[in-house]
Amino acid sequence: MISAVLPDRLPWYLAGPALGLLVVGFFMFTNQPLGATGAYVETAKTVRRVPGAVSWRAFYFVGIALGGLAAVLLKEDGFVARKGYDVLLDANDMNLSLPVASAVIFVGAIVMGYGARMAGGCTSGHGICGTAQRSPASWAATISFMSAAVVTTFFVNQF
Amino acid sequence: MTPSTSHKIIGLLFGAGFGFVLAAANLHEYKTIHDMLSLKEFDVFLLMGGAIGVSLPLLALLERNGAKTVLGGTLSLSRSPVKRQNVVGGALFGIGWALSGTCPAPALVMLASGAGLAIITIIGLFIGLGLRDAQTSRATGTAVTGDGEHRETVAAR
Repeated sequence: MISAVLPDRLPWYLAGPALGLLVVGFFMFTNQPLGATGAYVETAKTVRRVPGAVSWRAFYFVGIALGGLAAVLLKEDGFVARKGYDVLLDANDMNLSLPVASAVIFVGAIVMGYGARMAGGCTSGHGICGTAQRSPASWAATISFMSAAVVTTFFVNQF
Repeated sequence: MTPSTSHKIIGLLFGAGFGFVLAAANLHEYKTIHDMLSLKEFDVFLLMGGAIGVSLPLLALLERNGAKTVLGGTLSLSRSPVKRQNVVGGALFGIGWALSGTCPAPALVMLASGAGLAIITIIGLFIGLGLRDAQTSRATGTAVTGDGEHRETVAAR
């Protein structure tokens, strides 16, 4: 902890519009949506030195982590090395063993990555930038992933 | 400064801003996403609504006035018709999102905040994205991008 400058959780009515302004600002600099899926794809290509890799998106990828770390350091709890995923692991909650929780997270992430690439974007790309561009494809993808996620979570919560 | 360097600096700064807001709003915590998707708490839906509520009208206004962007010419927004892959891919994304409790950008913030298991999520994401790219490039020879992803521009390389 540096000092508790930030509240434990910035309320949605500040964080939401702040994200909206970042999206508009990014468009006004680069004429591009601020999506994370493309950042992963181009970062992988940049690291593997694939010809045509768009290397500046790797800077964006790293920026997300650095900005996140900065905010965490400005909160009271600060950076805490831990496993994470408390809901899955806690004895009072789902109480999964570490290998089972890891397998769920891993399979989930593979399905998520595959789906994001197939859909052409993720929560940031379609969910915010695409909807803000008034793209029918993005609105359809967003409604689809929101519904699927709520239904999946309902089933997960039965355990 | 070359366009490439400008893009790198802009990318780093906006990435940092994005990551900062995600962490400030606790979107990197599994519990925040899980409570949202369990419909126990609506803050994240409102947050997304707030982001769209600000950016949609601003972008529409800028587009109508033919705004010039700093590095990418006249502002051009994408509006694509709905394809089956948007809906099917979206549904798969949603299932994975619910299971791993985080999406691509917050996963990076999760790791940066000290949560070690996020490395599994990030590796899984790279594998999933790569599987889809391998499949599409076998079928068509090229990978596809949608409205949610960065568009390819020569100047941005």
